[in-house]
Amino acid sequence: MKKIDPDKVNVILATDCGSTTTKAILIQKVDGAYRQTHRGEAPSTVEEPFADVTIGVQNSVTEVQELADWRLLDDDGRIIQPATETEGCDLYISTSSAGGGLQMMVAGVIAEMTAASAKRAALGAGAIVMDVIASNDKRRPHEQIQRIRELRPDMILISGGTDGGDTKHVVAIAELIAPAKPQPRFGGAYRMPVIYAGNHDAAPTIENAFDESVDLSIVANLRPVLERENLNPARDAIHDVFLEHVMAHAPGYNRLMEWTDAPIMPTPGAVGNILQTIAEDQGIHAVGVDIGGATTDVFSVFDGTFNRTVSANLGMSYSISNVCAEATLPNILRWVHFDMDERELRNRVKNKMIRPTTIPQSREALIFEQAVAREALRLAYQQHKEFATTLKGVQQQRSVGDTFSQETGGQTIVNNMKLNLLVASGGVLSHAPRMNQTAMLLIDAFQPEGFTTLAKDSIFMMPHLGVTAQVHPKAAMEVFDRDCLIYLGTCVAAKGHGKEGKPCFSYRIEGDTLNESGEIMYGEIKLLPLGLGETAMVTVEPTKMYDMGAGLGKRVKREVKGGTVGLVLDGRGRELRLPEDRATCQRTIKRWIEALDLYPETGSAGA
Amino acid sequence: MRPMSLLKHPFLLALTMGLLITGCSHAPEEEVALTEPTQPPTPANLKATDHPLDKGEKIDLTWDLTEADVELIDVFEIHKAITQVGDVMIEPSFELLEAVPAKDAFRTGGKRGGKFIVDALNRHLTARELKKLDETLAGSDTPFQVGKMVYDSDGEIWDDHPTSPISYVFKIIAVGRVPQPDGEGEADENAADLLLAATQRIEPLRAESAVTDPITPGIQLFDGRLGSLCVIVLIISLSVIYFIIAARSGKPLKIRKIAGLEAVDEAVGRATEMGRSCLFIPGILDMNDIQTIAAMTVLARVSKTAAEYDAKVEVPNCRSLVMTTARETVQAAFLAAGRPDAYNENLIYYVTDDQFGYVAYLQGMMVRDKPAACFYMGAFFAESLILAETGNSIGAIQVAGTAMPAQLPFFVAACDYTLIGEEFFAASAYLSGEPDQLGSLKGQDVGKVIVAIGLLVGAAVATVATITASPAAWDALNFILDKILA
Amino acid sequence: MGQAYTPGLKVTNRVTHRCRRILPIKGEVLAKVGDQVEAEQVVARTFMPGDIEPLNLSNLLSMPPGDIIECMLKKEGDRIELDEPLAQTKGIFGLFKNTYKSKYAGVIETISGVTGQVIIRGEPIPVEVKAYLQGTVIEVVPDEGVVIEADVTFVQGIFGIGGETHGTIKMAAVSHEQELTADMITADMKGCIVVGGGRVWHEAITKAINVGAAAVVAGGIDDQDLKEILGYDLGVAITGTEKIGLTIVITEGFGDIAMAERSFNLLRHRQGDFAAVNGATQIRAGVMRPEIVIPLSEEEKAHEAESEHYSGLLEIGRPVRIIRDPYFGLIGEVAALPHEPTPLDSGSKARVLEVKLKSGESVVIPRANVEMIEA
Repeated sequence: MKKIDPDKVNVILATDCGSTTTKAILIQKVDGAYRQTHRGEAPSTVEEPFADVTIGVQNSVTEVQELADWRLLDDDGRIIQPATETEGCDLYISTSSAGGGLQMMVAGVIAEMTAASAKRAALGAGAIVMDVIASNDKRRPHEQIQRIRELRPDMILISGGTDGGDTKHVVAIAELIAPAKPQPRFGGAYRMPVIYAGNHDAAPTIENAFDESVDLSIVANLRPVLERENLNPARDAIHDVFLEHVMAHAPGYNRLMEWTDAPIMPTPGAVGNILQTIAEDQGIHAVGVDIGGATTDVFSVFDGTFNRTVSANLGMSYSISNVCAEATLPNILRWVHFDMDERELRNRVKNKMIRPTTIPQSREALIFEQAVAREALRLAYQQHKEFATTLKGVQQQRSVGDTFSQETGGQTIVNNMKLNLLVASGGVLSHAPRMNQTAMLLIDAFQPEGFTTLAKDSIFMMPHLGVTAQVHPKAAMEVFDRDCLIYLGTCVAAKGHGKEGKPCFSYRIEGDTLNESGEIMYGEIKLLPLGLGETAMVTVEPTKMYDMGAGLGKRVKREVKGGTVGLVLDGRGRELRLPEDRATCQRTIKRWIEALDLYPETGSAGA
Repeated sequence: MRPMSLLKHPFLLALTMGLLITGCSHAPEEEVALTEPTQPPTPANLKATDHPLDKGEKIDLTWDLTEADVELIDVFEIHKAITQVGDVMIEPSFELLEAVPAKDAFRTGGKRGGKFIVDALNRHLTARELKKLDETLAGSDTPFQVGKMVYDSDGEIWDDHPTSPISYVFKIIAVGRVPQPDGEGEADENAADLLLAATQRIEPLRAESAVTDPITPGIQLFDGRLGSLCVIVLIISLSVIYFIIAARSGKPLKIRKIAGLEAVDEAVGRATEMGRSCLFIPGILDMNDIQTIAAMTVLARVSKTAAEYDAKVEVPNCRSLVMTTARETVQAAFLAAGRPDAYNENLIYYVTDDQFGYVAYLQGMMVRDKPAACFYMGAFFAESLILAETGNSIGAIQVAGTAMPAQLPFFVAACDYTLIGEEFFAASAYLSGEPDQLGSLKGQDVGKVIVAIGLLVGAAVATVATITASPAAWDALNFILDKILA
Repeated sequence: MGQAYTPGLKVTNRVTHRCRRILPIKGEVLAKVGDQVEAEQVVARTFMPGDIEPLNLSNLLSMPPGDIIECMLKKEGDRIELDEPLAQTKGIFGLFKNTYKSKYAGVIETISGVTGQVIIRGEPIPVEVKAYLQGTVIEVVPDEGVVIEADVTFVQGIFGIGGETHGTIKMAAVSHEQELTADMITADMKGCIVVGGGRVWHEAITKAINVGAAAVVAGGIDDQDLKEILGYDLGVAITGTEKIGLTIVITEGFGDIAMAERSFNLLRHRQGDFAAVNGATQIRAGVMRPEIVIPLSEEEKAHEAESEHYSGLLEIGRPVRIIRDPYFGLIGEVAALPHEPTPLDSGSKARVLEVKLKSGESVVIPRANVEMIEA
């Protein structure tokens, strides 16, 4: 990596090589501030017949240079560096999730302790965790071996034991993995990279356990004591191995690696990176979600702790059938305000699965697809909550006052009341015909409490910015603020339950464009106009059954951001409860849909 | 040689009747007084009936009484006499049982008239009655039965025999009111004293009722006083059955999370990760203590987890029987976890019966071996804090469970998790997750709710009754005491 | 994207098909370049390392792991047979020795003094790769496998269940719209590739399994039927490893849907010929669709190949199939290709095309919701 003087950087080119498309964006200094100016897209070229990722990169960059009228590629198809007055860029960076991203297997001693930490390290580095092997995963050793042999991960991360603690179990795991001789995906002469980040006392034994067929690297223990995680050395090691081994064996990446000014990052790792940077910089708690065709990624930063989960089989096209199987059709149909034929729906869902590129044409199809999205997001968030927890296996400090309120370790750190910013990306969210639909999908699926700003990633720029943040944080922050996020508005919701039609909270809004006060009843949702760039001071006073951030019945005053949707006042209660009865549920949903003007065309579909 | 029968002795009958007539006609003498005492009406229609649903110790007396009568009558004197024991007829000799205020009798009767429930009637005669009986039968050489005793002519115990019923007769005497001097406004204290003295001299007027027919209190199969208990028992039993059926049919029963039991995995996991052992102490009492039995349930869970995690569980005991049980428990748990090969019985051993010898051993061992997880389950006394503090100082995750109220605060403060009393006993249902056990746990909760409601209501009623002295509140309180708590 | 590329399934009466037959790990290749191979012929073979069985001797013999090495009666690399003594404790003064007899046969791979674990590797597992495609070996990948080429009639399905199989093609349906029901399956279909028209019923598949058919090809299948056949709800379209007794290839999709006339006619034309079928489907990166491959006989090869007008680009007059509700399964011709994105009923804007249906009706469909077919 070459030395970069941040002040002299005027033009930044970033690409993200996905499985299907390669996206390029151009960041330029406009009037002293960094702005994202142009973008281009081209099909990825990782697989046959091209089998060279750089072709896709060149195609997408060509589109950018045409749009920007700024030459970026020289006659040999290389990126021109550094920038001059008329051409080239100062910084070129890239992320990659092509070929299914970075696939890892992790192992630890106890599934909820060191193995969970190892999983966190791998997910945080942007990997897909194929399986977690632990000595308490209820599988007999030969079953574990069978599984290791079936999987074809890109690399393996082994952890286990605190420093000076257990050696027996962690060595036993290594002894299982070594003879199982897992086959790497890219076959051939490739030696399986294994990272060991466990008890340092066991390191020499671990070294003995593996022979020449694996490439073992030993880093600091990711759980030196049970009370503390130290994930960074393991994450760095994963990135290094990703570049040295995985990328080096993928077609065309060697060339791409020569071009870039910073190491290529796995796409989800980059997204996590930018979210973490933003949360730290602004001192907020944030959640990001990226719902794709096959998988849904959820990122969260609460109290400075970053977590990422990949829900491997929750997606809107390849995995849509799985969403229906996991969420069950009745749960999905809760969100649909008219009757649909279940048998036909099941067939439709399967047809979407086998023809993943189709888009909903009719209003009913859209409503159904968004209902599926709600459930997919809800399940993914639930999985995220279960994973993003405090550390397990930690001694608790008690007083006599705790007699009746003893809490176990490993409680989720995801707190919807604390949540400040919820960022959406992924086809079904960012390409929804109306922004109101995006906002409502987020509110229904994530159920934010109190005051939460909703935003969407305009063109899925977060990966680019994530990797930019590593070399030029200032540029990344400026672009993130100005161009990356499109604010949808703010959701103000009360936590608690009461009786339908009884007062939930009263509000007073003071702003330049919006001055209003009134009362929201339980079960009611209201949308008030508050445009992009506008802010308002909102004072809410919940009745005594509800909490809006300051405790039951306590008044809260906050400044809220407007957006393309506006200010949503949500008195539907949390957790959101939908009526069990189908007809009542349809009426309720219809009321909410009308309140937010979600599907304005009154086609033939209305109930 | 049979006891005398009343009917066969017209003389006795005549005597009885005579006495009764005398009693009725005997009117109290009037004395010179400041004010005239009132003449009470004669209680008419006195009837004695057997009290329903009792164990043969009560007779209900009812007679005509109107609200107007209550104004005239101060108290009713209830008199009782025995007329027959077995086949032996006895000359009735009335004795005063109780003086019941007229308004109480009226209230008990509930506007239908006067009512009094004669309680505590013996099925055996008192010494005095026996003596009286002796006198009656003196000279007779016929043995007779009283209760389970058979007496010969000398009143000696002769043999055990089935009970002989005792027949009673009753009469009541209405005692008229004596006018109360008007003390208000009487300034002269001396004059008031005089007045009082004069009043005390006034003899109330009396009116005596007819004697009832002889009656024998009968024993019923069920005791009516316990009816409310029966209802409560039914509610609890039915709810237990209901919840068991519900649980069996797959209805999810929500049982509150018991942190201490949830934490077993965490504690054993910590021991595994740190390469240390788990220490399980099953209290210092023997197997006959219910807490030790509950401890074995938790031990089964701990050792099953340890078997799955391949961790070491050490169980030092201070009772040999507990050690044997613990070995069986742990072995079964290892077997259930599919790891019988990992079971090592040498880790479950006997230390000493001596309380502090045992504690000293444990303390020393904890400081030396530094187990990463300590479980204190069972009955503990003075050693609770010694153990818990030592465990805390070596940085172990500690889970305690005991039903010893005095030791709970120590455990709560020094341990990570504590199972408190009931939670400890609920452990087996909670851990097994079997519908039968969960259902009965849930059913018992219904019982606890009923008891809690009863406690709250009782306390509230007693408080109200004491503060306001309202008769209605007292009645309610008495109702709770007599009928519900029986 | 610069161009509207709407891929369709490949259905052609004559194409030179190549197929790579590669071992999962390196091994021995049994065929040479130029060899004519049959579908059942083994072209490459190797041995996978055998299954491994871990034994925790420290627990089994109740001794510290560190002592295991001294107590072993066998060394690493030694062969051990069933019930052969593997290790013996030292006992007390040479008495009370405890012996462990191996429950597995194999080779001792490792002996660990840390965990007390001994790992025995069982017999190597033979792995064979068959030719699958009847044709000529045109390339040998050293130590890995071969590439086979043949001129074939090739029909791609949209979705399949089960792996590779082969048999002769037998038509059960008389038209491309006829549903495949149980009474159409007869005992003489044993070992055949049964071709139906429209939807195939659950009972028909059950009967086909009973008569021993090799594969069933049909236009559509109901989700509920599939669930009953598999015993679970298919979540992700990655198939090929199911073991239900036969291979299923669905050419069009889920629901009541007729097989494309062209596919049906091609199959009918090749009735009685030997074909290879693979139901493996993977609809993600590295798309795999199920296929029916029918090698051409010598005389058929002599015939002129059908004129190929498949350009991969949408143009007016091209036959297309609509692959999304509300017009799912209908076939028509491209009537117009408006350039500008057009708002849909759903509210979103997308590039559309106008399709003239066979009924004469004209409908507007997003370009993403059609696929090209060859008529």
